Parts: sequence; structure tokens; C-alpha cells
Amino acid sequence: MARTWARWLSHALLTALALAWMSPLLWVILLSLTPNEALARGDLAPRMLTTAHYQTLLAVSQAPRWFLNSLLVAGTMTAATLVLSSLAGYALARIPFRGRNGVFLFIVAGLAVPEQAIFLPLHRMFAELELHNTYTALIAPRLAGPFGVFLMTQFFRAVPREMEEAAELDHAGRVRTFLFIMLPLARPALTTLGIFTFLYAWNDFLWPMVSATDPDMYTLTVGLSSLQGNFAQSESLGFVMASAVVASSPMILVYLLFQRYIVRGMALGGVR
Amino acid sequence: MRRAARLPAALAFALVLLVACVVVLDRRARTRPASGPRTEITLLRMFGSCSDEYTGVTDLSRAVGECGVIQVLTNAFNAENDQGISVRTQTIEWSAYYDRLSAMYAAGNPPDVAVMHRSVLPDFVARDLVLPLARDLEDAGVDFGDYVDPARQAVTIRGEVYALPFDFHALLWHVNLDLMAKAGLVDARGAARLPSSPEELFAHAAQMKRRTGKHYLAIPSQTDPMPTWTLETWIWQQGGDVLSPDGRSARLSTPQAITALSLLNALYREGHADRGLDYARAEQAFLSGEAAVLINGTWVVERYDAQANSGAAALRHYGVYTVPTLFSRRAAWADSHIWVLPRHGHPDPRKHRAAVAFLRYLHDHGLNWAKTGHLPVRSSVLASEAFQALPHRADYEGTARIARALPPIQNQRAIQDVIVEEINATWHLGRTPAEGLEEAQSRVDEILKRAAR
Amino acid sequence: MPVRIRRSFRAPGSLAAFLFLAPFLAFYGAFLVVPLLLGAWMSLHRWELLGDLRAYCGSGNYLRMLRDPLFRSSLVHSAQFTLMAVPTITAVALFLALVMNRPHRLYAALRSIFFASGALSVTAVTLIWLMVLNPSRGLFARFMAALGFAPVDLLADPRLAMPALVVTTLWWGIGFPMVLFLAGLQQIPRELYEAAKLDHASPWTTFRRITLPSLRRTILLVLVVEVILQFQVFGQVLLMTRGGPANRTRVLVQYIYETSFRDWQVGYAASMSMLLLLVMSVASFVQLRLSRPGD
Repeated sequence: MARTWARWLSHALLTALALAWMSPLLWVILLSLTPNEALARGDLAPRMLTTAHYQTLLAVSQAPRWFLNSLLVAGTMTAATLVLSSLAGYALARIPFRGRNGVFLFIVAGLAVPEQAIFLPLHRMFAELELHNTYTALIAPRLAGPFGVFLMTQFFRAVPREMEEAAELDHAGRVRTFLFIMLPLARPALTTLGIFTFLYAWNDFLWPMVSATDPDMYTLTVGLSSLQGNFAQSESLGFVMASAVVASSPMILVYLLFQRYIVRGMALGGVR
Repeated sequence: MRRAARLPAALAFALVLLVACVVVLDRRARTRPASGPRTEITLLRMFGSCSDEYTGVTDLSRAVGECGVIQVLTNAFNAENDQGISVRTQTIEWSAYYDRLSAMYAAGNPPDVAVMHRSVLPDFVARDLVLPLARDLEDAGVDFGDYVDPARQAVTIRGEVYALPFDFHALLWHVNLDLMAKAGLVDARGAARLPSSPEELFAHAAQMKRRTGKHYLAIPSQTDPMPTWTLETWIWQQGGDVLSPDGRSARLSTPQAITALSLLNALYREGHADRGLDYARAEQAFLSGEAAVLINGTWVVERYDAQANSGAAALRHYGVYTVPTLFSRRAAWADSHIWVLPRHGHPDPRKHRAAVAFLRYLHDHGLNWAKTGHLPVRSSVLASEAFQALPHRADYEGTARIARALPPIQNQRAIQDVIVEEINATWHLGRTPAEGLEEAQSRVDEILKRAAR
Repeated sequence: MPVRIRRSFRAPGSLAAFLFLAPFLAFYGAFLVVPLLLGAWMSLHRWELLGDLRAYCGSGNYLRMLRDPLFRSSLVHSAQFTLMAVPTITAVALFLALVMNRPHRLYAALRSIFFASGALSVTAVTLIWLMVLNPSRGLFARFMAALGFAPVDLLADPRLAMPALVVTTLWWGIGFPMVLFLAGLQQIPRELYEAAKLDHASPWTTFRRITLPSLRRTILLVLVVEVILQFQVFGQVLLMTRGGPANRTRVLVQYIYETSFRDWQVGYAASMSMLLLLVMSVASFVQLRLSRPGD
């Protein structure tokens, strides 16, 4: 009897904690739906809700364009990372060649290089190439990160040899083995890596902020931070909150939909 | 298709498609037609965003405040000009403005026209980042002779004119006349009686608190530069200086500076002002009748006047005055908004001409900008009846004659940040004004050395 | 035909390996190795962001770092933030993982909640928390008022600003360490707990004797990963306090950003980046040692 009570109590306490955890988010959503007059009065629970802020956001800001920019940048970065990482990971895991360990270490060493340590020279390089304010500049530097290669190498190493030997008996070439045997096997790892890359790209802040200086080229994260600054002083509080909700909801959706893969990826990437 | 082939095929397809998009879009953006029927130029400015409020508005009489006026001026120029020019505005908040402008320059993509403060112009001129303008503007019909001397000097460096002056802006005292009347601090005509010495300032503040229970002052504090500008004002009012006249060393560790900072801190300490207020909350405190005097600049006069007249704010009777002289001399901190044409790696003569035409338009509408509360820089505007008829101007026209600024040296932003931080340190870290100012002195000296190298 | 293919499988794979590796290595070289070298080169110069000053100064920038009190304080603030954030995040994540490590639908839903805030970008997170902490109408102020306390402006208080940033970061980043702990908990053999039950061990003893020792490696790993992450804190500070009040929260990466984009001294900023790289490399090395399986 006492045990059941204890269990119910812990259920209730945890649920309360989770609700408190969520409250800032819920409150901001509420603010984004509150009319300006009610905000000005400082109402805690507005009697009327409005979508006016969302309409303004669509009408006066370039939010739709920023959204598409983010989609293109994150999508391309994801596809390219998957292709580059699986190719390189396969070679490092399964093609014996001289200096393989050296190359692997050389690449893994890159994990220690934080983005903040190289963004200045990168900025300089892209300025010399006159490539700032292009999608290329937003995407290309992000393909150099070695995490994907590391993950795919680990994954391919764990695939049993027999799978490949079967292909060998079928007289399949290296490329075909890779494409039609190994890659389909790697689907879970690729899914995880894909989601990670996409989230990382979507939320990237420092690099797009210094590279994309033309509002047409802003990603959603940078664009909304510019709105926040510009409208912060005015009475457009609901508007700013609406922008935050718009920026966040696609990601929260992705997060919740693919939670299983993300969790697995975190465990994989962390525990190794 | 074989099941095993689906994943590689999908990946390859997605990659090819997306990369193709990227390549095509990037290429198209780079070869944007230079010779279309319209010339598009980019305008970078601060003053906030109000595009939601003023979308499509070209009626200048409807614009209120800095943001409104510049937005409507831009709209109107786009609608009226017969050279097919359209100005595209990019707004960046004030505190991030120069960082972002620097990033744009560094990315090789500066705007075609930008607003700046006079105080940062030396940094840009020293690196040859802005174009000399005198010739182009005179060809476009701008008469520099009409600009008052200090304005012309402000944009002239080594004999070259690098910018179009747009205003002087200075500190003012914004006053809630109802609270002042209640505290007995108005004269027979109903104008505010402002203090003429530190002692009188405290006496007035105490009287305010006794009779109304409200704060005498609201000062945007925290990390806002308003206390710094106030400090500089009070240093100058004592005949002191912030920097040596040649701008090579700081003069912050001086008796005048210590007196000024001690005065400021005493106001907070004795509860006549709340240093917990940031800009927005100080403004709020004033508009909602919680403080009698707000220290703020010329840029808000029209907005506060409109608020008071609308009846929506607790502030009903609004007055605004030149910063009172508390010491032996008259002085008020000031700076200036100016328009520059950034130098481009690949200059486009059409865009350049368009940018000059836009500056000419701004030159013609100096009166509209002055409506916001800023001090005009053209003699003809100053003398015009329309300007004279603007509300409150008689109460602060003297500000133009006492406006002071730092000498035209580089790194003024960094210097201001240091003083803000060190004032903060006296509030939060228990430093005395003398200690804080000594620290500021050595840090500013370090910055000044940097420019000399 | 079949014969040739068989041979290609046996032949030393240098060419094949090169072809598989080349695309990635091209990006790796161009956008990681080259910038690293260029950064090291820049750090030896007085090099301005704008204009064309490039003057070799040898170790000048590094010596200046030693003398620069602002650099020192920003390094200290980064370390302070790390020291506050890492144990807090680790402890809270461990606690949440322990109480939610149950196969129950309610717990799956609760895990999602703690996990979801990690999907937000730094702009959204800071915006939300700026509102929550706003002293005049924020959620926190209202909560305090309901309890009868005067509202406190946490971000303007020199002692509380940093903790407020830590709380924001905790809210944002609890998901990742929590998941690591959940994964670690799943790996503890069930038999151990069953044995403990037979011994009538108290929950506390079970936790101390079984759970904690089994999680030792995961805990270490989380600590190191979080150190690497939190030492590079930037967005929260830039967007919430800008380094104030009284320069109490200015962190290293922010100082690097300001030095390059406010003061235009890219050479000096590059030398500070090199130091950041050094610190991060040491931490990463530790992490690699820790995460090597089976030792």
C-alpha cells in the first residue's frame, strides 16, 4: 500500500517538474497569441487570443524566405555530409591501405578543433574568394567537420565481415558492395547522422551571422535574431514572441518525431 | 528498382538536386542584372524597425519618431524619384550596429548608403573605407555653405568631406510637468524650475520625494551609455575634460571626474534614481508617471510629445529642456548622425549616382528629421518658420551652443564601453569613484596607444 | 571480367581508398586544416579586419595576451561558467535519468519534455529566458511576487547574472547528458539489482554500491563532453548580458568576437583562438582516452 502511494507521489512530482520545465515555452506561445493591448496592460491570462502577430510576421519580415534558406542550407549540408562521411568511413573501416591509421588519426584530430577557433581565418578566406552571402559559403565550411566520418567508420567497422564476403562470392566490385550492401545496412546510422547534421545546421549561429550579411541570405536563426533586436524596444513584444515560436516549432517537431534516432545517435556518439 | 538500390539512389538524387539548386541560385545572385530598368541600392541604418506600422506609407505628415520619419522618407523617395531608384532598407539594432557593419565590410559586401555616428567616422576614414563626398554632393546641388560650422567640421577630416551631416543629437532633460507642479518645482509660467547646482539638485529631488513619493530622476542605467554621457557632461561643466585635447591620453582620473561620478552615484544611493532601470524601463518609468525627469536624448522628443497628447500615457504635460548647468560652465554631451557612402571593391557608377541622389533627398528633408527632436544642422532649416513652430524647441534650442563631444579620435566605441563598465564596477563591485576612474584611465590610455601605433 | 574484380578486391586498396576519401579530405583540408594554419599565421601579425594593416609581430600578440587583464578576466569567466554549469548539468541530468529510467508511458512522455528544449536555437532560448527573467513582467518576477518577494533583476546583478546564464543553459542542454545517462543505465546488468534485492539492500545502498560505480565511465564522459561544450559558451552571453553587469560575464569567445568585430584586431583575436584551441585539444584528448572502449 505504502509503495503504491510512493509511486503515485513520485509520478505527480515528476509531472509537476516537467510542467514547470515546459512553462517558459508555453508562456511564450501564449504571449505570441496575446493582443498588443493586453500585453501593454500586462495581463497574465488574456481573455482574447489573436493570430495578428503571425500575420504581421509573414507580411513585413522576410521570414518565409529565411525559412527556405534554412531549409536549403540544412538540407544540402545533410545530404552532402551523409555522402562524404559514408564514403570516407567505408574506406577507413574496410579498405586496407598503407597509412590508414595515420589518416584516421589525422581526421579524428579535427574533432578537437572548435568552430570558434577557426571562424576568423575562414571568414578571411571566403572574403578573398568573394563568396560571402552565398549558399556555398553557408554550407561548404560545415562539410569539413569530421564527426560524421568518425561515426560512419565506427559503424562500418562493426558490420560483420561475412556480409562482405558474401558479396565477394557474388563477384561484386568494391563500389557495388559499398552501394548495395554496406550503405543499406548503414541506414540507422545514416538516419541518426542526418538528423544531427540537420539540427546542427538549422541552429547554427556564429558562422551564418558573420557570413550572411545580406538579409536575403539570412538563415532563420540569424534573421529572427535581427528582428528581435530591432523590435525589442517597441511595443511589438507579441510579434517577437511569434518569431521565436515560428523559428522553434519545426525543430521541436523534428526532434519529437525522430526522438528514437536522436537518442540512439547521442548514445552512439557519446558512449562510442 | 532493387530494394537495396533505393537508399543510395535517393541519397545521390537528393545531393545532386540540392547542390544544383545551390549552384544555380548562387550564380544567379552574383550576376544580378546590373542594367535593369531600376537601380536598387541598399541602405543600412539603425533607428529600429517599424515596417509593420509604415508599410507603403509615403505621407510624411503621418510619420512619428526617428524610425517613422526615416522609413517614410525612404518610402517616399522610392515612390517619387524619377530615376528608377529603389532603396532597400536593412535595419540593425543600435547595440549590434557597428559589429554588423564591420562584418559586412569584411565580407566584401558593405551597403551602398549607411548612417553612422560622427564619433566613429575617424575609424572608417583612417582605413579609407568611406568615399569623400564634397564633389558629388555639390554636383547634385547640395550647398555645403548652408550647414552650420560645427556640422561641417564634424564630417571634415584633413580637409576632405566624408559624410552628409544629418543632425546633432544631445542629452536633454525630459520633464513630467504635472509631477513638477505637484512638487512645487515650476515657475510662474508653468515651466520647470531646474537645479543650478548639485546642492539644489538634491534639494529638488528630496522635495519631489517628499511631496509626490516619486523618483526625481529616471536614468537608463545598467549597461546603457546614458550615465557615461551624463558623467562626461558634468566633467565638462566643471571645466574638466575626458581626454586631452590632442586625444592622446585620458583625463579620467581627475578631481572633476571624481566629483561628477560621486554626484551621479549619490543620486542613486539616496534613492533619487534607480540604477536597475535599463533603457526601456527608464522610458516606461517616465511615461507612466513614476519619475519626474528622464535623462535621454533629442531623439525621443516627438514621440514623448505624441504620447502625452494622445492621453494614453500617464504623462500628460510634457516639457523638455537643455541639460541644466550644475557647475561653472555650460556643456551637454552630443554626437551627430551622418550619412556615408562606403567604398566598394567593385564600384558600380549607377549605384553610386543613385546613392548620391538619395543623400540629396535626405539633405532636402532636414526639417522632417528635425521634427523627431534632433537639432538641425542647416542654417536654413534653423531659420525656417516651420522649425520655429515645432513644440518645445524654444526650451532647448540653447543645447546647440553648448554641445560637446570627444575630439575626433579612433576607437571611441571601445572607450565608451570601458567607461560604462567602470561606472558599473563602482555600483556592483564596491569600487570607489576614484578607484573606478583610475581603472578607466589606464584602460582608456591603453586604447589610445593602440590608435597611435 | 569476374577475375579482374576478384583481383581488385585483393589488391592493395590505395587507389580505391583514395577515391573514397578524396571528397571528404578535400573539404577537410580546405575548410579545417587551411583555416587552422591561416589562423596560426594571422596570430603572428598585427592584422586588422578592415583596411590593409598586416604587420608581422612575432609573439607580440601572445605576449599581449599575458598582460591583458580583459583577456584574463574573460578566461576566468569562461572557466567560472564551466565550473558552475558542468556539475549542475551533470547532477540534474543524472537525477532525471535515474528517476525516469522506467518503462512506463508516462516516463517516455516526460523524457520527451526534458529533451525537447534542446531542439531550440540559441536565439529562441535566450529570447524565452530574457522574457522569463524580465523583472517587471517576467514569469520569474511574478512567481517571486506571488511568494511575497520583491522582483530581482537577475541579469543585472553581478553575483546572480552568471547563475542565471547557467540556469538558461541547463534548461537548454539537459537532454544530451540525460540521454547518455539513460543509455548508461540500460547497460547495467539486471542481475546486479536482483542480487541487491535478495540482500535487502536499501535503495540508497543499491545506488551507491551498484548504480554509481557502473556509471563511473559515463559520468566522466559527460563531464568531459560538457566541459568542452560549456567552455565555448558564447550565444547566451552575447544575447542576454553582453558581458555585463560590470564585465562580470564576458567570456572568452565573446572577447574574441568583440576583439575582431568591434576593435577590428583580428590578429590578436586569432592568437586567443589558438589558446582556445589548445585548451579544447587537451580536453578532447582526455575525452578520447575516456571513451576508448574496454579499459
